[in-house]
Amino acid sequence: MRNDLELDAIIEDYLLGKLNPQETEAFEQLRRNDATIDHKVVSHKVFLHNMEEYAEQLRLKEQLDAIHSEIDVDAISAQVGPHPSKVVQLWRKHKSAIAVAASFIVLSFVSIYSIQHNSQQTDKYVQLSKQVNNSLKTQNNLIRKISSDNTPVNKLTNPGNFGGTGFAVSTNGYIATNLHVIKDADSVYIQNSDGESFKVKVVHRDSEYDIAILKIDDKNFRNLSALPYTIKKNSTGVGENVYTWGYPKDDAVLGEGYVSSKSGFIGDTTQYQVAIPLNPGNSGGPLLDNNGNLVGIISGKETAAEGASFAVKSKYILEAMRAIPQDSLGKKLTVNKKSILSGMRRDKQIEKLQDYVFMIKVYN
Amino acid sequence: MNNGLKSSVPTDREVILGILNNSGDTLNKLYKAHFAMILQFILNNNGNEDDAKDVYQEAIIILYNKVKEGNFELSSKLKTYIYSVCRRIWLKKLTQNSKKTGNITDYEDVFVVEEDVEHHEEKDAAFVKMQSALEHLGEPCKTIIQDFYINNLSMQDICEKFGYTNTDNAKTQKYKCLQRLKKIFFQH
Repeated sequence: MRNDLELDAIIEDYLLGKLNPQETEAFEQLRRNDATIDHKVVSHKVFLHNMEEYAEQLRLKEQLDAIHSEIDVDAISAQVGPHPSKVVQLWRKHKSAIAVAASFIVLSFVSIYSIQHNSQQTDKYVQLSKQVNNSLKTQNNLIRKISSDNTPVNKLTNPGNFGGTGFAVSTNGYIATNLHVIKDADSVYIQNSDGESFKVKVVHRDSEYDIAILKIDDKNFRNLSALPYTIKKNSTGVGENVYTWGYPKDDAVLGEGYVSSKSGFIGDTTQYQVAIPLNPGNSGGPLLDNNGNLVGIISGKETAAEGASFAVKSKYILEAMRAIPQDSLGKKLTVNKKSILSGMRRDKQIEKLQDYVFMIKVYN
Repeated sequence: MNNGLKSSVPTDREVILGILNNSGDTLNKLYKAHFAMILQFILNNNGNEDDAKDVYQEAIIILYNKVKEGNFELSSKLKTYIYSVCRRIWLKKLTQNSKKTGNITDYEDVFVVEEDVEHHEEKDAAFVKMQSALEHLGEPCKTIIQDFYINNLSMQDICEKFGYTNTDNAKTQKYKCLQRLKKIFFQH
């Protein structure tokens, strides 16, 4: 026991480096020779290390306790602890969720407000377009003003004050055109592609669809041969290529384009919108598709927009024609039959077509 | 919250350097800087002030040891680190006490500190082992050992304190105590 204690003392001194060199040498010799002593040294080393760590942690804890005692814990816990009031507790717990909800509500208000705001703008837009509408009630009807100093094309006729285009709807001299072309006329003449003029009388006015039917009332008029075009009863699809043949000047002009919308000016469903550059004088001209079907009557264009022209749908021509006594029409337009223009090249179609399209001259 | 304390919050670099240089002042500032945060966390998650103190001190010790061991890499703010460690410790304690843990109310960002906490637990186990061994030792051995190994008193001081006739007697007593302590320590 006594020896054990001495040994422990020596081991500790050895580990702490308190032995002098000779003693260290001697002890290491002993340690090498005696496994028991070596084991004791190792275990004591482990123990000392543990003790050291223990001491260090203990000191640190004491230090922390000392610091902790300086803190007024109660004051802070009163501040940050759970509030006796459930409401405050809820608020603290769900602060972030409440914040999210609040911002969502704010956002919805903002979007609702902006939607309302936007719709107010739309209203203004509608109103604006109505104004446009009003100013366009003069809707630029494509009536050509023929200047009075125009040289007469044909010595048999006088130049008219206004002009437009019309086309035959029967072989015996019924001509369709726009009502606005002949509206304020004292007398109306038509002139064919050969320059011959014939007097016509207005037999039907359809102000609803802006269509007028004229009848050639001239003894020089000889009946036309069969009409090359047929009339299309159904409406034409957007994108369909169409063309018109009309008299914006003293000679006929071809205008080509496509149906760009199924409704006309400000959503007028009796009209198509067509993308054909048109000029005054084109009014009343036939609008035909590639197969030679009559799909409409050119009626006007929008001044505010480029390339937006309008044509009254062909079925309203049919309606207007019903107003004429059917037996007096003779060989009239046929519906949805294959036209002889079908499959022809455009120049051949025009060649056939030109005898049936007339310049309309209006005097007042 | 607590502007007086906040104003003296040391920067993370200062803290690390302070711990490495054994600066008590830095430790003091660090401790006071983040206690309120942990107190709030514990109080609002089924804990009391004492729990907060225990958990917080444990976290500070973990940080301290990690810095001392020289393998602390500042990958996030110290504040976040401390919070994460506390959270981890507190969650473990809650699970141990089978209190409800479903809904932890967080106040800060959290990142993974499992390894550090586990490492600390091993260390802490050794600490507890030594502590209980000392408790088992009984007086006067416990005080002698503590005075010598922890408070670094000399044998002379101990001799006088305990009224031994000479230092050799005191030394013999100390080694007797030490032998018993080692026995207890290594037995457990």
